[in-house]
Amino acid sequence: MKKIRPFNNKNQAIWLYVDLPLLPINAVITNMQTPPEEKPIAIVSLEKNARRIVCCNQLAKHWGVEKSLSLSTALAICPELIVFSRDQQQEKQLLQQLALIAYRFSPEVLLDNQSLWLELSGCEQLFYGYQNLLKKLHQQFLSLKITANTGVGETPLAAKLLCGDIFHQNLPDYSHIQNDLISTTLEKLPSTKKQQQHFKQLGWSTVGDLLNLSHFAISKRFTSELIDTLQLLKGQKPYTLERFKPTTEFYDDIQNPQGIYSKESLLFPMKTLLQRFCHYLMARQCLCNLLTWRFEPLIGEHQSMTIKLSDSQHSWSSLLQLSRLQLERIELPQSIEKISLFCDQFSEMPGDNFDLFGNQLKKSENTSTLIDKLNARLGIKALSRVTTEAEHFPELASTISSVTKKVSSQHQFSVTQQPLWLLSKPAPIKYYNQTLHWQKPLTIISGPERLCSNWWQSEQQRDYYLASDNQGARYWIYRESTNRQWFLHGFFA
Amino acid sequence: MSNNVLFNDLFLRQDTWRGIQDSSNHKVIATGYKNLDKLLLGGWPLSALTELVTQQDGIGELSILLTTMKHYADKDTLCVLLNPPHQPYAPALVNAGISLDNLLIVRCNSYKEWQWAAEQSIRNQALLFAWSTPIQPRYSELRKLQLAATDSQCPAFLFRPPAALRAPSPARLRIALEHKRFNILSVNLHKLSGRTPGTSTDIILGNPSKERIQLNKLPVNIYYPQLDQLNYQLSLKKERHN
Repeated sequence: MKKIRPFNNKNQAIWLYVDLPLLPINAVITNMQTPPEEKPIAIVSLEKNARRIVCCNQLAKHWGVEKSLSLSTALAICPELIVFSRDQQQEKQLLQQLALIAYRFSPEVLLDNQSLWLELSGCEQLFYGYQNLLKKLHQQFLSLKITANTGVGETPLAAKLLCGDIFHQNLPDYSHIQNDLISTTLEKLPSTKKQQQHFKQLGWSTVGDLLNLSHFAISKRFTSELIDTLQLLKGQKPYTLERFKPTTEFYDDIQNPQGIYSKESLLFPMKTLLQRFCHYLMARQCLCNLLTWRFEPLIGEHQSMTIKLSDSQHSWSSLLQLSRLQLERIELPQSIEKISLFCDQFSEMPGDNFDLFGNQLKKSENTSTLIDKLNARLGIKALSRVTTEAEHFPELASTISSVTKKVSSQHQFSVTQQPLWLLSKPAPIKYYNQTLHWQKPLTIISGPERLCSNWWQSEQQRDYYLASDNQGARYWIYRESTNRQWFLHGFFA
Repeated sequence: MSNNVLFNDLFLRQDTWRGIQDSSNHKVIATGYKNLDKLLLGGWPLSALTELVTQQDGIGELSILLTTMKHYADKDTLCVLLNPPHQPYAPALVNAGISLDNLLIVRCNSYKEWQWAAEQSIRNQALLFAWSTPIQPRYSELRKLQLAATDSQCPAFLFRPPAALRAPSPARLRIALEHKRFNILSVNLHKLSGRTPGTSTDIILGNPSKERIQLNKLPVNIYYPQLDQLNYQLSLKKERHN
């Protein structure tokens, strides 16, 4: 059986136009904890001192509610109508989110007021076929409960004109697209009323009639705008909308006017925000280093919480766990009205490590997960590492550093035995009755090792001895040369 | 799941008792001391909790574990020191060949945090060295740690004071360390499956030849305390210089 390729030319662009007719409704509903279902819903906005319907869902349409009806008429027609006012800010945010999702499917995404375009020509192999791609994209939209209709065409404008009422399951055939384009009514083409009248006078009803005319003939009869439109349609002129690019910093928030009173109920909006954040990270292919949560009450000071992450991939569930651990430690104001998540510190995603035979080398992720968890619950001050310095004096040679710094230990192999524990401050040893005393009498076992400090800073010279008490514990003691005082500096474990 | 598969899984677990049959299917890691390996039927038990009780701090309880620490640090496993009594001395660890990258020191303020941190470290496949806080963990909490350890591939070590020996504990191995003579540590076995408690062995720590040179052997004419090796008496001589 001959395989039907949707487009004959391999270099032909395939544009998918995604129309989001119910975007205003979706924008208002997604942030609500209990969205109204199975009810007629409409969105109104204030236009010229009258409140008019901007968008309504299927059920409302059944009742007869339509766009640009006034609010009172709509309520008269449909008494059960639930009405929300338009939130343009939320719509923009939702569109950005959807653009991020679309960005995972195609590198070229264009945005319009209530719709997106995706360019699909290079994406077939990655998704094992266009059918799969469309199915996955549809699933993504459905999981967010967003209705979308699509149109497919060779140019963005063509795709827009061919947008139907359904989400395409398969890419249509090339010939189908051409036929559909030709038979599209001229009313859909963006043009002025005068031009539409003109078309009617000429007896044209479809785009095909217009395309049949030569360029010269059209330019004589119509304005340059129409010519531009036709060129966009045919692909002779490139579409000048800007490509979508994910922003360099991530900010998202969820508002809850009723107020959240307990830490458990905070987790649900935090989970939603983290899921969106993970989509963003996947789109940008990077890892996050520092997350900042902000909890704002209606009145009073906000509370913020930062989570530091080590370099490892995190799913939203592990980020939620870490946030939860740290949330237990902080005090929150009475009722939280707005939760926001902000991140502007990112790092490159490390490439996969392969050994000689192509087997992937997995560096243990358990280590960084453990460090993150301990950090979240105990705080960064509870964790530390030891490092060595090129110093003679032991208290300078061994330093404590925070967990995040990379440690580079210089190999200083010394012949003498070194103690395992070091006292942060040397403890003075009493010397009387011709014996050394530190909680018990000490005896020196082996001879001294002289360590001198930087002579330009202090004249100290220390003679270190290995001492032991009568129960076998071994100590590292030294005697200062300047004041001949004995000190205890370390223990041998 | 068929019965066969269930039984196989049960037998592969480290904590199933199999009667008279040889129960030494337990995985162990060599301690580095032959006497100790013989005593412990191979070495430190993996996927289990080991309790070390010392009569006196500083007799060498951590030194015997240095080879194990080095083994795991080389494999890039994180070694966690939970509430150590003092700060570790880095050059000593470097001398022993342990890379400091894989060493983490955790300090907890409360007992609950200590318990949580210990469990998390074991669950995340880290090598744990824990010093129990002033409050001694109860049997049930030790059992939690032992259960968490059965899923991990590393041993877990817990240092406890001598009073802890009187109470029962679910740890697989319990040993008491005592100082016998200079550089010789005596290890008493209190609990290990397959061995009678009370058996003990001696380990020689350190290498006397690595100790520092006695100053009286140096070509410097200063009198210093002389050590009488036999009975540890210190006889001081008056110094001439300074």
